[in-house]
This record gives sequence, C-alpha cells and structure tokens, in this order.
Amino acid sequence: MIHRGKGIGCMWYPIGFTAAANPSAATIKVNEDGTATLLTGTVETGQGSLTVLAQIAAEELGVSTDDIHVVSADTDATPMDTGAIASRTTYVTGNAIKLAAEHAKQILFEVAAPMLGVQPNQLEAIDRKIQVQYFPQRSLPIADVALQAQFVMGRPPIGSASYNPPTVGMDPETGQGKPFSTYVYATQCAEVEVDDETGEVDVLYMSAAHDCGTAINPMLVEGQIEGGISMGLGFALQEEMLFNDLGQQLNPNLTNYIMPTSLDMPEIDVDIVENFDPTGPFGAKGVGEPTAVPTAAAICNAIFDAVGVRITSLPATAEKVLMAIKDKRLSNQRALPAAE
Amino acid sequence: MVDETKLAEKQETVETLRKVDDDLRLPSVPERNFFPKEIDIAPARLQTPAIGQRATRPDGRLHGLGQTKYIDDMFFPGMLHAKIKRAGVAHAKIKSIDVSEAQKMPGVQATLIGSEIPVNSFGPSLQDQPLLADQVVRHAGDGIAAVAAVTEQQALDALEKIKVVYEELPPVFDPIEAMSEDAIKIHNNDSNIYASKTIIKGDIEQGFKDSDYIFERRFTTQMVEHVPMEPHASIAEWDANGRVTLHSSLGRITLGRADIARTLEMPINRIRIIATVVGGNFGGKNEITTEPIISLLSKKTGRPVKCVFTREDEFISSTTRHPFIMDYKTGVSKEGKILARKVRIVCDGGAYCSWTETTLGKASILSAGPYNVENLHVDAYAVYTTKTVTGAMRGFGAPQVCFAYESHMDDIAAELGIEPLEIRLMNAFNEGSSSPTGQVLESVVVSDSLIMATERFGWKEWQK
Repeated sequence: MIHRGKGIGCMWYPIGFTAAANPSAATIKVNEDGTATLLTGTVETGQGSLTVLAQIAAEELGVSTDDIHVVSADTDATPMDTGAIASRTTYVTGNAIKLAAEHAKQILFEVAAPMLGVQPNQLEAIDRKIQVQYFPQRSLPIADVALQAQFVMGRPPIGSASYNPPTVGMDPETGQGKPFSTYVYATQCAEVEVDDETGEVDVLYMSAAHDCGTAINPMLVEGQIEGGISMGLGFALQEEMLFNDLGQQLNPNLTNYIMPTSLDMPEIDVDIVENFDPTGPFGAKGVGEPTAVPTAAAICNAIFDAVGVRITSLPATAEKVLMAIKDKRLSNQRALPAAE
Repeated sequence: MVDETKLAEKQETVETLRKVDDDLRLPSVPERNFFPKEIDIAPARLQTPAIGQRATRPDGRLHGLGQTKYIDDMFFPGMLHAKIKRAGVAHAKIKSIDVSEAQKMPGVQATLIGSEIPVNSFGPSLQDQPLLADQVVRHAGDGIAAVAAVTEQQALDALEKIKVVYEELPPVFDPIEAMSEDAIKIHNNDSNIYASKTIIKGDIEQGFKDSDYIFERRFTTQMVEHVPMEPHASIAEWDANGRVTLHSSLGRITLGRADIARTLEMPINRIRIIATVVGGNFGGKNEITTEPIISLLSKKTGRPVKCVFTREDEFISSTTRHPFIMDYKTGVSKEGKILARKVRIVCDGGAYCSWTETTLGKASILSAGPYNVENLHVDAYAVYTTKTVTGAMRGFGAPQVCFAYESHMDDIAAELGIEPLEIRLMNAFNEGSSSPTGQVLESVVVSDSLIMATERFGWKEWQK
C-alpha cells in the first residue's frame, strides 16, 4: 500500500570561514567608454558567481551587468582570493568588489565635479550617468566622464580593494566567540509516497524558502536551490560509497553508485525570503551550500509521517525503510495480548 | 595493343587504394564549429539598476553552444598524458617501489615516485597527506607512482609494470574502534583522534534537571562523493625560465599556488595557475591533487603533461563527505521548549585530515539547530580510519547534523503531540538571539522561512 507523508527540514548556515581570515581582493578598471573590466581571483565553478559579481560592480558604478567584463582565476593576473568555498563568494568577494568599484567611482566623481560645477560628494552614478543628486537633469554620460578622466585629466579610473569578514576567535574550552560575520536560514518541506511492500520512497514535491539576504540575481538563487535539492535527495535516499573487508570501494562508478537523475527530481517551488544584511554587498549574504542542507531531514521526516518509522541512518534506501516497517509491524504484533 | 582487362584491373586497384587513403586521411584543419556570431543579449543584462535582475550568464551561452573549453578540451604541442598507480591495499608499509620495467614500456617518457617530490606532504590544516605515498599506505586509493606517456593507454599499460612490495598492516575502518586506546595508530600519533571541538553554553546539568522529558537517539550518516560532471583535471607546462604554468580545475587558486610552491620548494612567483570554468566543484576541488606531480613530470620531460582523473580515480582518491555518528540527548519542557541539549559527534575522518577540522568546527556550532538552546554541551571528535579521504563538501558537516537535529525535533513533537511546525516556531532563533557560541544573531529569518515554505506547501490544509 502507498502511504503519503509530509516533513519539514529547517536549518541555519554561516557565511565564510570559521574564525579565520579569508580575504578577497578585487580590481576594477573603467574603460574610456564607461564599460569596465573586473579582475577577481575567484573561480567560476558553475554556480554563476561571475555574473553575480558583475552585477555588484555594475550596481556600484551605475551601469548594466553587460557593461562589466569579468576576468577571473589567473594567479599571474588576478588579485588574491580565498576561493569558491564556504558560501563566501557573493558576501566576501562581493564586498571587495563593491569597495573597489567605489574607489574607481570616486575618481570619476572627482573628474565630473568641475564639469558639472558641484562637489564630488554631491554626485551619484545611475543609469550609465554621473548626475547631481536630486537634479537628474544635470548629468553627464559615464562614457564622457571616463574619457575625460583618462585622456584629459590623466587619471585612469581604476580601483582596488580587499575585504575580510570580521570575526572573534573561539575560546578553546567553551567554543564561545563570534566565528562568523553572518548566517543564513532556510526551510524545505517534502511530500513523499512510501510503498510499505517494497520500502520505496518517491519524493513528489518540495517547497523551499531560503534566506540569502538580497537576491542579487533571483534566477541564479533558484538554480542553486534546485541543484542543492538534487544533491540532498541523493544524500537522503540513494547515494552511499560502499567498502569491502579490505577497504576497497565496491561502487566507484556511476553504474553502482546511484545518483538522482532528472526523473527522480520532485516538483519544486522556490521562495526567496526577503531579507537585507547591512554587512553584505547591497544586503546580500550567500546561498550555495545551505541549499543541500535541509533536504534529507525534510524527506526523512516525511517518511516518518507516512509510515511511522524513524530512519536514523542515511541513506533511507528501500531495504532500510522496508526493514524498519517490518520491525514496527513485529513490535505491534508483540504488543497484542496472546490469543485465547 | 593495350590489354583492356589489365588496364581496368589496374585502375580499379588505384581507385581502391585512393579510397582507403581518403578514409585514413585526417582532416588538415579541424572541422569548423558553427555558432551564431551576432549575439542576442538578454534584456536583463542591459538593465539598470543591475541588482535584482535575472541576468543570464555569459558562460551559460558557451555551455549551451558547446563552446566551453574544459581542461580535457585543451591540447598543447607534444603534450604527454599522466596516470597514477593506486595502492589497492588499505594499510601497509611500502618496502620497495620498482618502476624500471614501466620506464621501458613503449611511449613512456618519465615516471615519478613520492621520494622524488621535494616536500611530499600537503593539507589545509595538517600537512599529513603525501602526494604519492612513499613509506606508508593509509587507504586503498593512495597514489604510489605516476607515469607520463605519449598516450593515455600507454601510461595505463605502464602502470601494470610497476612493482610494489608491501608489508601489510592491520586496517581500521570503524571510527569508534579507531578511537580506542589499543587501536593501531594510523599516523604514529598517540591517538587516532586528530581534532576535537567543544562548545559549552549555560548549565547542562541544571537544564536536564529542569526538563519534563528527555529524549535520546543516535543518528548516523554515510560517505558520499561530490561527483562533479568534470573530474579533477590539470595540465602542467614547465618552461625554460623555470616557471610552471598550470591549467587546473582547482577551485581556490591563490591558496593552491602556495601549496604547490611549498611541495616543490619554489618561489610562489614562479607558479602560475589558470583555472578554467570548472565543471562542478561542491568542495571537492578545494585542494591540490596531481598538480605538483605533473609539474615534476613536465620538468623531467620538457613537455606539457596532462592528467585527467577517471571516474574511478575521482571516487577512490579524491575527498568525500564525512560519515558522522551523532548522539543527541535533549531535555524539553512539557510545552515543547528545548531546555538542554547534549551532542556527541564522532566524525569518520578518513586517512588524512584535509578539511576535517573546519567540518568538525562548523558541525559542532550548527549541531543545536536554528533554535534557542540555553544549556548546551557539544563534544566532537575527528578520527583517522584507513578509508578514503574525507574533506570539504557542500555544507561542511551541516547536512549531517541537520538530519539529526530535525529528525530528533519530529520525534519530540510526535511524543508530546505538538505539530512539527509549531514546535519549531516555538524554539526558533529570533533577531538578537544568542548562538551556541554566544554570538548575537542579526538579520534572522528562521520563522519567516518556516512560514513561507509551509504556506507554499499548503502545510495546514494538506491531507494524506
């Protein structure tokens, strides 16, 4: 018989290294036409980080994402970066980029101020223009200012900066301290079907509500969440590296190490929890790792709701679930009084 | 007079030969790739303000058109292919390694063993892992020797000719067993426990005394692989100025460069790492693997050397997710408020430390869950076993402890007859809550995420 169940998994997760320096540096070079080149030492590992970083640089310079070209991951050419690890890229590298863009923008403001007859601190960069705050009609195209800066004033608008999240070391005896600058929070809910004759679990639907501070690019946040759920699903139900008595792996291949495929994926609804972290670039935190954290918990709680068995050892394979169902039946039978 | 039959026969032979020749002839220029040259830029990329736009990725366009160059798509003139021999035994002393027969194999240009590497150890917190094991094997996937040959197949064939004599040592696979005092010591330390973390907050004894109910449960999790679509891959090219350029799938190049400089005893500025668009990382590509080995093979041969892991290499020799054994004891009031929690984590740390210390630290801090627990005691241990190396993987210990604290939460809710959503909302962190390490938390939205996810799910209306 098929039983349906629902389950919740809720989590928290930190951004950046545990009470250890993990700086990032960045350089922005504004070109003569108002487009810009961003140099970063982080590595694009498929998550779309370079696009998010371009958006952060673009926002600070008041230009569009496509106006920023990102050069990344060449130790001879790009500045220091702790790397694509610990869900830190948007927050730490993003903060460094925002600061670098601020420096480049300051040069543009100093060049534009006499052109517009105001002080540099009265200017803002918006819609590819440098304009006087509250007087949008008094503005110059950023391209004109960049050209003036480079070829007339001899001040190429280049900015460099670095950022390291503030932490306080942990006490070795009690662990008390401020190991991380900020954290994110999330909840995922799962709906499953469990077959009590085979132990098979089918995840039908998942809803996921994740906090990432400001979503710099909601599409990429959704992509991360869907990918994280697929990884969490494998961890919950299928994936396990097995060893023989000699310590050799029995399934070091994709024939016998079973990963979820697109056919195993449930329908997913993603929500981004509105939040703003004042320490992040434009309020952003991060989203990479947390997406894979609560999935297994939500699925196992849904199995418990469906058939009343608690899986205490992952993965919840069909064999394990069936065994637990049988054990439960057996103990229920024992509880009955003996027949007269 | 011309013999018509003979002429026809001769012509037929010539035609056949030409056809064979055409079939064999390789194209002198590679086939042209057709992709649209006029680009169609998505409006979201052109809009200001840039924040909040669903901007498409320039690398996504290249992926979609099949134009992304991964390491395995790169070729350099004269490039060799490297392969690594794996131990196959879990725990053994290496008596001898003989590569002389392998060196005589066709196509083989160079071999490398651990004792030829200037500093044969690496690791982000403890440098306890050899690049190629030269004295002791600590898990079956340990590399023993490397071969560089003209083709991958020649390198593989040569691996078969490497003779290694082992003196086998007793293995230990169970972390609890490895913790005991009389267990065999995998790294010649006093204990196999190589990292521990403690978090103490409030008064745990008093918390349990004040509790109406106490729940206890052990949870365990398994070892899993990252399985990135692109396996670990790199190409090394040693140049005549004594600089080495590495194209690598490494995810953290700045620190990777420092590690390579340390193992090769070279100034950092003689090493260049160029990372390509990595085909999936998930934490598995945060450490150097073959980079120093192929750098030395390139130095020996004066040729670029490429090494791409097979799927099997990826499973048996790269890092994996730590299996955890977690004992939870939680005291709650009859209303369902958590008053005390004691957690003991034993982390199967595999053969080498890698990112285990970080994983253990994050897991202990997060193990109480996103809930207000005033009285908390967490003890966590990482233990060496003679199994595959465990290291960084998406979540650093968080998926393991989340599985435990959330399963435990539903056990408590079911026993007390409280709705799972309610018990969570009752205990959840709020703005200004104090974390297990005493940190005041800001921009906290646990309850908001609970409400949002359950509303979207239709939690309250949902029926079996």
